[in-house]
Amino acid sequence: MIQKKICLLGASSVGKTSLVKRFVEGIFSEKYLTTIGVKIDKKTLSIANKEMNLLLWDMEGNDSYNVFQERYLRGAAGYIIVVDQTRASSLLEGIDIHTLARQVTNCPAILAINKSDLLATWHLDDSEHQAYQNIFDLEFLTSAKTGKNVEQMFSSLAELLLKCEKNDITT
Amino acid sequence: MPTDAATEHTESEQQLEKVRELLLGKENSRITASIQKDARSIVAEVITEALHDRQQKDNSVNKVLQPFIEDSVKHSVAHNSEQMVSSLYPLVGSLVRKSVAAFLSDFMEKTNQLLENSLTIKGLKWRFKARQSGVSYAQYAASQTFVYRVEHVFLIHRETGLLLNAVALDNENKSDADIVSAMLTAINDFVGDSFLSAQEGPKEQLQSVSTDNFNLLIKPGPSALVVAAVSGNPPQSISNQLQLTLERIHSLYFDELNNFNGDNQHFDTADNILRDCLLSEEKIKPSHKKKIPWFAWSIVLLALCYTTYQTFDWVKSTQLHKKIMRLDSQPGVIIKQLKINQLDNIKLDILRDPDAVNITDWLNSNELQPSTFTIVERSYHSLDQKILQQRAQRIISAYPSISSTWQNNSLALAGTLDLIKTEQLINALAIAGLTQGENLTTAQLQLTSTEHIATSQQIKQQLFNQLIGRIASIQLNFSVASGDITAKMQRSLNRLYQYIKQLAPIADDLGIDFGLLIIGSSDNTGNKAANDILSMNRANNTADILLSKGIAKDKIYVVGLGQIDIVNISSTSRSVMFNVIYTNHH
Repeated sequence: MIQKKICLLGASSVGKTSLVKRFVEGIFSEKYLTTIGVKIDKKTLSIANKEMNLLLWDMEGNDSYNVFQERYLRGAAGYIIVVDQTRASSLLEGIDIHTLARQVTNCPAILAINKSDLLATWHLDDSEHQAYQNIFDLEFLTSAKTGKNVEQMFSSLAELLLKCEKNDITT
Repeated sequence: MPTDAATEHTESEQQLEKVRELLLGKENSRITASIQKDARSIVAEVITEALHDRQQKDNSVNKVLQPFIEDSVKHSVAHNSEQMVSSLYPLVGSLVRKSVAAFLSDFMEKTNQLLENSLTIKGLKWRFKARQSGVSYAQYAASQTFVYRVEHVFLIHRETGLLLNAVALDNENKSDADIVSAMLTAINDFVGDSFLSAQEGPKEQLQSVSTDNFNLLIKPGPSALVVAAVSGNPPQSISNQLQLTLERIHSLYFDELNNFNGDNQHFDTADNILRDCLLSEEKIKPSHKKKIPWFAWSIVLLALCYTTYQTFDWVKSTQLHKKIMRLDSQPGVIIKQLKINQLDNIKLDILRDPDAVNITDWLNSNELQPSTFTIVERSYHSLDQKILQQRAQRIISAYPSISSTWQNNSLALAGTLDLIKTEQLINALAIAGLTQGENLTTAQLQLTSTEHIATSQQIKQQLFNQLIGRIASIQLNFSVASGDITAKMQRSLNRLYQYIKQLAPIADDLGIDFGLLIIGSSDNTGNKAANDILSMNRANNTADILLSKGIAKDKIYVVGLGQIDIVNISSTSRSVMFNVIYTNHH
């Protein structure tokens, strides 16, 4: 079976854990909550008739008091930067984290603008949008509460990873 | 010159090339063609050996052939299943037998273990301790039974923390292995980064994680980790084995590890290598277990003694019971209840005729200790033949002039005795259970003259009344429509004759005239006139007998009553009755 390590990064309380929770549907296990700054869950997906195991490393939220723990990014096949559309500051923090992460890994990165069920307090204008499209491979407006785009985001990521793999092999 | 030489050289080269082309054809085509022509036979010559050599060299033939074989087997099963079945058929039987046998022996062993562990004191103790320390019983039992046991082995990709393969002792609990391995990697990273002393040099590595009963042994390699979850105290040998395994995996899967993209399929074959790490060592049973369990044995011995004693006791008391019950067959003794509490505490509740054997004597003569008996004795009147004889003997012994003989359980008296004493004797015998006409015959008893006996009028009157009462109590019962006198009637008539004979002198003394009424009757079935005649016939037949015995004809009056209309009587009253009619002529 193909297994992929996916990391979820972002400022604190943007909804990383909730996204994982929504995605793994019920088999979310509290018992792996740890104090070492990461919580790991698993979800099996079926992409193009292939079983794929996603191991979701849900990293502790990063804020000014908390250093970004790059060590957990090691070996990740992809990562998701989660930001909160009700807090503009979370976007800035997300971009910071992304910049730090890019120093360690080159794997695909996704921007998840979470809490889409709530009223947005900020919007990306076209130029910003353009800029972010260049630094993120994919971008999703998600809601862990309603489940909007959650499944889709993860399966798109999985597809993207498979595609990268093929490209690697062909080149 | 040098240019000339060079040209010459080139020319000769060209010429050589031409020759070569002529000989071998273009691009060696002649040779290839000729080889191709014989390719089949050439390859056929060496193919077996070549396959063998290559397989020996690097095992690659297997790998190449495997997919072909798998495909062709699959194809055969799908399209020629009949043939497959028939060719596999001889195998299937023994396969099934083998697997059933294996299953059974495994099952028996497990059951045995379960029984052993759950029914012994040790098992209960373990259960209690397991509950106390909050682990499953199986786990606790394993920890007690084994010095150590490797429960799981994980092969983890170092860079990604993804699980490459995992083997478990019991082939279960694998579902979380991938999360566990990711967590372990995270912890390892955490430890490695958090306690880093020097920035350069290799990072710190977690080597083991220990709990009370559990050890995680981690062997890090350049591209992968081997992790063993061990219960108990792992010895150095496990660590060595892990190291060996890790090295083998690195050498075997060098490319796969370096180009790992998340697909762990390539590592399925590492199963067998990892299984080598599932080591365990059973605890040597403590030597004190070998000690003979004196306590248990003494209990068994005691139980055995007790059982033997009880059995012995039971046999004894059964024999005793049988012996005592023989008393019951003694004439005039009835055992109401016999209770043997102990061999020297016997309760005997009996009924005994005073003429029967003395209980104590009987016990003594039967080798039984009367002192061990509690006897409750109550008297009763037995009609056992032997007791009757004894009793009669006792009564008759008071009359020296009377001799007695027993014939067919009937007592016959002979001798001479005056009337009063005769009456006393007969009364006494009647109380003793001997009745005239049934089991007592007095026909040979001779009466002495009453004249010599001074008896008062009153006594004589009483005797007279008694005799006429006895006479009136005699009744002959005939069968339907019959007037015949049977043998039984003859006996009654004999008795009647005796009474009359006794009555005559007493009546004389008392100055009484008497006569005998012989009254015939019939039932109410049939003609009344015929019944009158029948009743008369019965009376007449009776009278004839009495006349023949010597009773005077003028003392008899015969009458036939015919039917007697009394409820419940009339239908069966086929009889002859007697009555004494008397008048006092003084």
